[in-house]
Amino acid sequence: MTFEFDIIIDALPALLEGAKLTWYITLLGLLGGMTLGVLAGLGRTAGTRQVGIAASGIHIAINRTLQTVSFAYVELIRGTPIIVQAMFIYFAMPMLFEVLFEVRGVRLDAVTAAVITIAINAGAYIAEIVRGSVLSINKGLIEAGLATGITRFQLYANIVGPLALRRMIPPLGNQFIISLKDTSLFIVIGVGELTRQGQEIMASNFRALEIWSAVAVIYLIMTSILAFALKFFERKMRII
Amino acid sequence: MNRVVEFIDVGKRFGDLEVLREINMKVEFGEVVVIIGPSGSGKSTLLRCINALELITEGELIVNGISMPKQKRRAREIRLEAGMVFQQFNLFPHMTTLENVAFGPRKARGFSRKEANEIAADLLDKVGLADRSGYYPSQLSGGQQQRVAIARALAVKPKLMLFDEPTSALDPELKEEVLTVMQKVAEEGMTMIVVTHEMSFAAKAGTRLIFMDEGYLIEEGDPKAMMASPRTERLQNFLRHVT
Repeated sequence: MTFEFDIIIDALPALLEGAKLTWYITLLGLLGGMTLGVLAGLGRTAGTRQVGIAASGIHIAINRTLQTVSFAYVELIRGTPIIVQAMFIYFAMPMLFEVLFEVRGVRLDAVTAAVITIAINAGAYIAEIVRGSVLSINKGLIEAGLATGITRFQLYANIVGPLALRRMIPPLGNQFIISLKDTSLFIVIGVGELTRQGQEIMASNFRALEIWSAVAVIYLIMTSILAFALKFFERKMRII
Repeated sequence: MNRVVEFIDVGKRFGDLEVLREINMKVEFGEVVVIIGPSGSGKSTLLRCINALELITEGELIVNGISMPKQKRRAREIRLEAGMVFQQFNLFPHMTTLENVAFGPRKARGFSRKEANEIAADLLDKVGLADRSGYYPSQLSGGQQQRVAIARALAVKPKLMLFDEPTSALDPELKEEVLTVMQKVAEEGMTMIVVTHEMSFAAKAGTRLIFMDEGYLIEEGDPKAMMASPRTERLQNFLRHVT
């Protein structure tokens, strides 16, 4: 038994095809995850960073609702395995629709289900990253901002947001890489991403050593690209 | 209307803790009111109530015609007219000196970037930091940061300036440059309320001195007269400690 590079070269087109799909699911999923994460993260801090005039009446009710909904979402997703989430969205959702609304045949294709799973899953973790960063912003800066006479929206857009974003970059890097690797789980719903491609080639030629080495290296290259992109971003945003 | 600030039987409590009690005072245009008193006497809270960073819990506080707590939705209008300088400077760390000062005019007053930058450049010149406009706060000394903070507060053209222990975080050398700038602002006729331990500033620039203790306004009057002959025992004790 020798390590034969020819095997890898033969397998490469199919593996790269899988890698392309892995990128697609990751990037689209993370776009959704960032959106959900920022919304739920801010939702969890609703009303907690008040200065001066405390919220009253209807605003308290709105803040509580936002907090509760965001908290429930984060706990639900953090508390269940991503593979179960993927199975649920792909296999159980159509049945749920049938039970609830008596509509049949509402079925997502596997890639869409994969993108949604990554979005929902990463969103819950990103929500905690957003929350932590927002809470870490010095109260004095919030007061100084408000003291200039700006609105709360302007405060978040110009001061809290930009400062929190810088603190989010390292933990976001972690989450992005985790989400990219999590796409390999979609093998269970039949998405032809990188791991699945590897598995299929392996099943026909039984060259586990070459194929899994190649798959591992391709993942490593993809995660490195993510890491470098974030490092670049972090350097650009650094405060002197 | 000459009155900028009026406290009517104002009280402020945080839960069970009474921080301000039965405060009655008025500040007219052009006055430089200096507030002194031991730690925990309520000086900072009084200042923070004026620009609605805290909401009073009893009485009425009228700032520039807006009455708290009745018109608490108009807090932002009060803040536009009351510039604030903090003990810890609180400059925005991700903005240059010029951006810090231009921020208020641009965002709160709606000036164009060009106009806001012109306002900021003028003010930086006034506080002696024209050559530092491209620096970030972390590249400045404490005294320079506080001068930028004064320029930032002046930039929205407030009717009133509030200073919350502006020199307490600075060593003696740096204090002087900040106090000089503050005196310049006072000489230009700005209405100022200054919480400080700098008795020399009170004597030189203050038109009125107020002594607070345990949330009460104990004594007020002409700064030099009050320092020379304090009426209450509490002020006598306090002055012995600060000078």
